[in-house]
Amino acid sequence: MRAVTLASIRAHAARLVASTLAIVIAVGFVVATLVLNETARSTILEAAGAEYVDTAVVVTSDSGESLADDVDTLTALDGVQAVAPSWQTSVQAVAPGRSGAQYLLVDSVATDPQLRWQQLADGTLPTGPGQMAISERVGAAVGDVLPVTVYDAEGVGTTTEATVTGVVDLRGDPTAGLYGRAFTTADQAQAWGATDPLELRVAGTPGTDPAALADAVRGALPGAGLTVLTGAEAAEEAAAMLTGDATILTTLLLVFGTVAVLVAGLVIANTFAVLLAQRTRDLALLRCVGATARQIRRSVLGEAVLTGLAASVLGVLAGVGLALAVTAIVGSTDSPVPLSGLTVPPYVVLAGLGVGTLTTLLAAVAPARAATRVAPLAALRPIDPSPLRSKSGVLRLVLGGLLVVPGVGLMALGVLQGDVLIALPGGVLSSLGGLLLAQRAVPPVVAAAGRLLGRFGGVPGKLATGNATRNPRRTAATATALLIGVTLTTAMVVGASSTRATAQAGLVAQYPTDVIVEGNGVPLPASVQGQLEAVDGVVAGAALTGATLVGPDDAGTWSLGVDPDEARPVLRSTTDTTLPELGEVALTPWEAGTWDVRPGDPVTLSAGDRSRTLTVVADDADRTMLNAVDLEALVPEATADTLWLRLADSADQTEVIDEVTDLAGAAVPTAFVTGAASERAAIDEVVDVLLLIVTGLLGVAVLIALIGVGNTLALSVVERRQESGLLRALGLTRGQLRGLLAWEAVLVAGVASVLGVVVGGLYGLVGAASALSDVGEFVLSVPWLQVCAIVLVATVAGLLASVLPARRAAKTPPVAAIAG
Amino acid sequence: MSVPVMTVPGEPAASLSAAVRASDLRKTYGSGETAVHALGGGEGDNSAGVDVAFEQGAFTAIMGPSGSGKSTLMHCLAGLDAATSGTVWLGGTELTGLRDDELTKLRRERIGFVFQSFNLLPVLDAQDNILLPMQLAGQRPDRAWMDAVIGRLGLRDRLRHRPHELSGGQQQRVAVARALLPRPDVVFADEPTGNLDSHAGAEVLDLLRSSVRETGQTVVMVTHDPVAAAYADRVVLLADGRLAGEVHQPTTDSIINALRGLGA
Repeated sequence: MRAVTLASIRAHAARLVASTLAIVIAVGFVVATLVLNETARSTILEAAGAEYVDTAVVVTSDSGESLADDVDTLTALDGVQAVAPSWQTSVQAVAPGRSGAQYLLVDSVATDPQLRWQQLADGTLPTGPGQMAISERVGAAVGDVLPVTVYDAEGVGTTTEATVTGVVDLRGDPTAGLYGRAFTTADQAQAWGATDPLELRVAGTPGTDPAALADAVRGALPGAGLTVLTGAEAAEEAAAMLTGDATILTTLLLVFGTVAVLVAGLVIANTFAVLLAQRTRDLALLRCVGATARQIRRSVLGEAVLTGLAASVLGVLAGVGLALAVTAIVGSTDSPVPLSGLTVPPYVVLAGLGVGTLTTLLAAVAPARAATRVAPLAALRPIDPSPLRSKSGVLRLVLGGLLVVPGVGLMALGVLQGDVLIALPGGVLSSLGGLLLAQRAVPPVVAAAGRLLGRFGGVPGKLATGNATRNPRRTAATATALLIGVTLTTAMVVGASSTRATAQAGLVAQYPTDVIVEGNGVPLPASVQGQLEAVDGVVAGAALTGATLVGPDDAGTWSLGVDPDEARPVLRSTTDTTLPELGEVALTPWEAGTWDVRPGDPVTLSAGDRSRTLTVVADDADRTMLNAVDLEALVPEATADTLWLRLADSADQTEVIDEVTDLAGAAVPTAFVTGAASERAAIDEVVDVLLLIVTGLLGVAVLIALIGVGNTLALSVVERRQESGLLRALGLTRGQLRGLLAWEAVLVAGVASVLGVVVGGLYGLVGAASALSDVGEFVLSVPWLQVCAIVLVATVAGLLASVLPARRAAKTPPVAAIAG
Repeated sequence: MSVPVMTVPGEPAASLSAAVRASDLRKTYGSGETAVHALGGGEGDNSAGVDVAFEQGAFTAIMGPSGSGKSTLMHCLAGLDAATSGTVWLGGTELTGLRDDELTKLRRERIGFVFQSFNLLPVLDAQDNILLPMQLAGQRPDRAWMDAVIGRLGLRDRLRHRPHELSGGQQQRVAVARALLPRPDVVFADEPTGNLDSHAGAEVLDLLRSSVRETGQTVVMVTHDPVAAAYADRVVLLADGRLAGEVHQPTTDSIINALRGLGA
């Protein structure tokens, strides 16, 4: 039988190409995911652990108590070479060429060279006062002198100068792009306000075991509230904090991988079913000659295993190649995604091979068994193929129903309770049940759609419908593969759209101001408002005056005066923000608590010898706010302290904010520019990128499904050679025959995609509604354009999948088909 | 009592009333050493291709042993296969120069087919199968004629059945109905009774003959069965890809004798 198996593979190699392709893609996807995950992990470990590379022991204070006193204790320990406390503080610095100040996190450089972990891209590390090495994000070069401002507890700033001695390369650190970092000597850091070092790094003498040293350190510092770890452990912990979210990402990616594998499995099962149906005669002949059913089954499964193995090898190579490409692309751009080099652990290769081979094998089991059930002589007799009806339908129906009903129930519960952990298993159950029911549900839908087609498509349309519904199992299998891909894609698209809308709505309610410009103690000149409102992209502005008022406890409180009519159009939402009218005041929770007042109570605020009694309208404001008129009455000389700006929806948020920052900084050097606009833009960007990635990933599954559609069509064309020949003999032109097959493809693909978007849309909405319950009120958002695009793309792709098989069918001369 | 008349091959028959005829027809499969001359001799051969004509309104049978080229001849005559050389005329239309689309249209409207097996499309019911060529041509059938045909073929209560619900004989009758409905120039039947028992076979042959008698339909039938060929008005004999004689007003015996004379 082995000779038969190998000969079969050789003879039918071309037919197996499509199913091989399906496995290659699925395995490649899974392997790429795992490789990228491992690479990201090792990159992050390298980056996050950079600090602890040559550190034997790391001591961290959990209680917040300074570890400065412990330095000497540790230095005296046996086996300790050096101890470096971490002096941290933050400053504002102005980089050359920029007018606004930027935040810098200052870290001290260890005195002992062994504990210096910083990698320099340029220059040297600082050696004395007034010197610092900066990270690339700061935007300064070696030799530049930057004004550095330090703010004390009262907010008073002192400016000194510092010279840049070097530029530090933070490598793959994901936080490198978020804010600037400066490295100075310990003394300089302390001069800039660093107190209470909370981390000590200990270097061991050569040959010291870090674990043993850690124990020694632990013994030397008996105080509670300390964590003592070896350098390697600390690196892992730091990496774990960063990869926390990445684990979720990897899990999600593997979910997609599973989907791709599932779809590939369906495609292969389909392929083998049709392949074997064609070879019924050959197999029957083998059985007449003396092969047992089991031998034949084993031969078929052997074919499947060999095919699967070969395809898996290709898939693993493809996956590694893909991962390499992704790493190269990511490395060439300046993205914060941590991927450098390529880590391919052996388990990934084994996993890829195993998954691919196993899937092919499992997919071929049922067709193999079905193929050997036909009695040998019956298969040899030349009779017309009668329509195939499956008998196991009832069991499937019942099982499917048993899964779908509780699944849907759980999903509904999940939405009502707002708990995604309830909705998720509901989704899984209902989709499994749905898959089982699809076999029964899809053919009738195809038939119904086909009846419509028959009315408009003429004879080819009717024939197409007949063909599509003649073999319900095959139609259902083909459609199901596409259905899965389309459902998931739609679920993601709809879910993401609703997520974005809900998150934005929540954010808008909480932070209704696009941009806030604050003088930070310095009054904003009147001209600034006009200047900023004139910026391209700014559509409205409102100025708030500010002054210190005295409350009932005789303590001063910085209060803002707002003109509600001016401010209302600038705010995006007033649901969470109360704008006080005349005689009203909005207090912060602290003040409301201290003065023991609640909304509705009166409170008297005074300035100098003027006072006013106002009614409290809110006790949850960010800043104390009263009506501008009231504030003016109390403090007539109050000047503009804050500007609220509203940006155009279509503007490039980051660009406009940068321009506003520059202008404000030029007018008032201490100006502070913040606002929700940039956060909202960031969320939009993140969701868009995620959506793109996710859609791309699901596109893989859809691609495999479409390969399956084309494959099924190709094989069914071969199956129906005689029919096609008859039709051609009776007068169907080549063009009409191609049209026939095209209609078939469109019918199946169209039905699958429409069903898919309906089911997928529901899943997406359920998922988003249950997951976002605590973000805010759920905002339903269905991106109709994208949904229609999905249906269109899937249908057209199905149509394209029929082109090659149709051409081959049309080329056969009529007589060859009949005689053959 | 009929007397077998042997004519000399190569003499052109009365071409004016020929429904379909072939002139110097050759068909070769493959090339070089593996060339198979199914019809006529090779190019360099002295012997000519096949010249044959089929009268209008007559029931003609083409007979010969296996490998004689009778099916090949029919396929070329019906525009199903392209000849290597020579010409075929369907009435006044030359088939051999036509493009595939034109041939296809011709097959729809002016030629009817009955095959030995796999005659019907399994996805369509009997009625749809019968109407198929006309629907492909976009023509509406003559209702009265259709009723007559269906009635004559005894199919009225079988119209909504699918092929797999019909017996072999019923399937062939549906095929005959389909062939007759457009009132084509010629009905080509390729071993129409090959898969049927003698009773069903006789039914089908009867129907073919009566269509010739009653409506003047031209029928050309390829067969290897002398009993079937006896239903025809004339039998054309083929052997090794060449004409080998004719039998007019055949009976089963005269046909068997003629076949024996071929040395087959």
